[in-house]
Amino acid sequence: MRLRVSGQQTGNDYDLDLVMGGDVADSGLPHGGLMNDFVEAVCARDTDRTAQARTVIVETLGEAAMVDAAAMIAAFNAYPRMADATGIPLEDGKAIATLKMRQELDLETINNAAP
Amino acid sequence: MAQAFDAAPVFIRADLRAALNRAHEHQSETGDWLDGLQRLAVMAEARHAWNCEFCQACKDALSPYTVSGAHDHLGALPASWVDVIHRVVTDPGRLSARWYAQAKTDGMVEDEIIEVISIAVQAVVVDCFTAGIGMETPLPLPANSGQPQKQPLRQHRTDAKTGPGWAATIAPEDAGDDFIDFYDNESHFYIRRSLTLVPGETRRLWDLLNNLYMEDPRLYELEGMVRHISRAQMEFLAARASALLGCYY
Repeated sequence: MRLRVSGQQTGNDYDLDLVMGGDVADSGLPHGGLMNDFVEAVCARDTDRTAQARTVIVETLGEAAMVDAAAMIAAFNAYPRMADATGIPLEDGKAIATLKMRQELDLETINNAAP
Repeated sequence: MAQAFDAAPVFIRADLRAALNRAHEHQSETGDWLDGLQRLAVMAEARHAWNCEFCQACKDALSPYTVSGAHDHLGALPASWVDVIHRVVTDPGRLSARWYAQAKTDGMVEDEIIEVISIAVQAVVVDCFTAGIGMETPLPLPANSGQPQKQPLRQHRTDAKTGPGWAATIAPEDAGDDFIDFYDNESHFYIRRSLTLVPGETRRLWDLLNNLYMEDPRLYELEGMVRHISRAQMEFLAARASALLGCYY
C-alpha cells in the first residue's frame, strides 16, 4: 500500500504487479531491477547471487544505498513473521484502503494462514 | 570494547549500527521469560532450521501439517520449542491458530512462545542483514560470560488479552503506566501490538526494527530522514520481501 501512496505523493504511477511477480522492467520504479535482484537473492539465501546483486547496487547507487536496502530486506523478514506467527489481521482501515489493490493483485484468492 | 557490527565490511550509519549491536549483545542476556543460555539456544536453533530436511519437506508440501516426521535439531531445546522456531523461520506464511494452540498443548507457556518467536525473528533479521552487506553470516553468537545469570522474572501480564489475532497482546486501551508509552504517536498498529505479551522483549525488538526501517511508517516520504534509497524503493523492497514470504498483511 505504501508503495502506491509514495507514488501518489511523488506523482509516479507504479505497476503494483511488480510486487507479486518481480517483473520490474516496465514498472516505473527507478532501479527496480537492481532492488528486485537483491531482495530475491537475500531471501533465497543465495550467497553468490547476493554478492553479485550487492556489487551492482554499490557500483550503481553507492554503498550507503546497498546498506539501506539490506536493512529494509532484513526488517521485512521480521514483520511478516511476527504477523503470521500471531495471526495479526489487517486493520479495518487498511483493509478498506487496500481493497482495490488487493483485488488487482488477486490477494483475496490466497488462503493465507487459515486457522 | 568493539562490538560485532563495528567490524562490518561497510559503513553502517551510527544509529543502525548501535541498534544492531544492542540486539546482538542482548541475545546472551536474561530475557523476560528465558535466561541467556536458552536465548542463545533459540538463536542457534533458528539458524539450524534452514538445514532441517523435515522443514524442507513441509515447505514443499501442499499443506505443511500433512507431513509426518521430526525436525532435525541441535538437541538443546524441547521438541515444542523446536517446532515453533523452525516453522517461524522456514514457513511463516502458513502458520495457523492450530499450530499456536498445539505449542501450548505441548507444554509451552504462551509468554515463552512469544519470546521464542521474537528471538527466532531476530536471528533471521540479523542474518538477512549480514548476508546482504557481505558480512560473515551467521554472525557468531555473543559469548555467554559463563557467570551465574539472573533468572528471568517470568511475570505474566494481566493486562494482555487474546486478540486481535490468536496470540494474547496488550491493547493500547489496556496498557498500564509502564507500557502505555509504547503506543506513543498513535503507533497502535496491530503489527506493533503483535508480541506485546512480553513487553521488555518487544521493546528491544522494536528498537532494532525502527532503526532498520523507520519509527513512523505513516510518513508519506522520507521527510528529513537520511536514507540513500527512495521511499518508493524502500516500500518495493518491503512489499517484495513480504510477498516472497507469502505474507500479505
